[in-house]
Amino acid sequence: MKNFILLLAAFLFIGLSSCSKESGLELDTTGKSGSITRFVAYQGFMYALNLNEVQTYSLANPDKPQLVHRLATDYGLETIIVYEGTVYLGSTTALYVLDISTPATPKILAQTERPDIFQGGCDPVVVKGNYAYSTIKIVQNRCGNIGAESALLVYDLSDKSNPKQVGMYFLSEPNGLGYKDNVLFVCDEGADQVILFDISNPENLTQLNQALPLQDPVDLIVDGSRMIVSARTGFVFYDLSALPDVRKIGEISK
Amino acid sequence: MPPRYTLLYVLFLSLLFLAACNQVDPGFYDGPGKRPVYAAPSALENIRNLPPQTIEQSGTIFLKDTLFFMLERGRGIHVFNIKDSASIRALTFLEIPAIGDFTISGNRLYADSWRDLLTIDISNLYNIQLLDRQRGVFSPALFPPQYDGFFECVDESKGAVVRWEDTELIDALCRTF
Repeated sequence: MKNFILLLAAFLFIGLSSCSKESGLELDTTGKSGSITRFVAYQGFMYALNLNEVQTYSLANPDKPQLVHRLATDYGLETIIVYEGTVYLGSTTALYVLDISTPATPKILAQTERPDIFQGGCDPVVVKGNYAYSTIKIVQNRCGNIGAESALLVYDLSDKSNPKQVGMYFLSEPNGLGYKDNVLFVCDEGADQVILFDISNPENLTQLNQALPLQDPVDLIVDGSRMIVSARTGFVFYDLSALPDVRKIGEISK
Repeated sequence: MPPRYTLLYVLFLSLLFLAACNQVDPGFYDGPGKRPVYAAPSALENIRNLPPQTIEQSGTIFLKDTLFFMLERGRGIHVFNIKDSASIRALTFLEIPAIGDFTISGNRLYADSWRDLLTIDISNLYNIQLLDRQRGVFSPALFPPQYDGFFECVDESKGAVVRWEDTELIDALCRTF
């Protein structure tokens, strides 16, 4: 039965992906979050991360969400996004892919294995086309694992039930991320920079020279031709209309 | 360093991992550590507008048209009008004690406040209204994030933990690993 459901889900996905266009993070109507969040509202439902479960709320009555489903996961859920009708979760130990073709009852399509050195990270994920980009940040290691590293990982999602890691790029202390066209922006708090990657070939990224100096960048939202980057105590606006050149156009600081 | 949640687990949640970490059993501990700062149970009901506040520590960000929302963990949400990038205006601060995260759908804002799920009407941004509180649906972390060491155990009779501060511990029992 489980296999049948997976098969059905797979067909539904094939159907969905063939008739939808790339549209970035999908959220309700006019709203858009950064890459680091534990709540997402999508088509009349809200998904909320608890320590070790995904809660699904019906927003049929938006004034009083109704808990309709709980999906058990491992401990360590941190971030959730929806992209083209699929939910992606970043956890301290894995990237999860959830089927929400029946929105009230999400199902786990895949849970990636991750090398031990990357366990305990803070792990936002964004998806573009068939590829997921996820940052793994090790701040303080469990078990005194001094050798642990932080990195940007790239997954091939052609088969959503079996994501394959196709790239790994070491970074200092990466946080949130996002993209416009073929430029991926990664907040690197350790380097005090927003780092730019050319993702036109997702299996072989090139780091661009145009890194943006910014103290403690945390997360970002691409809003048309501008980008809002949050830092520890403020946020900055950049003009993206002449990529890969990026120009700072505004700022709020503490 | 950013207080990003989780990865460290209270001892009683972490039995599974103990062996792998060669953790010794903790006894009473005196010395430097962390202690929780609480919002009293009565204070958790203070969901209201305040004048714009200083950003102490940014969190989740959300853009809705020209309105930009930025979480201030434990305290509430800053709201800005960002229509003109060169002239951004702070509009208001939504005080939501013990808030952990939020999202927005239409003119409803959903947020967790310690163990509760709140639904807040933001159709009038300057006069927000709590519509619904569902108690006890979330299990917040009962330990300091990104911290390795002893801390004063959480006592929920004192309220909700809004942040952790450095302190000199006496007879501390709880520790992360």
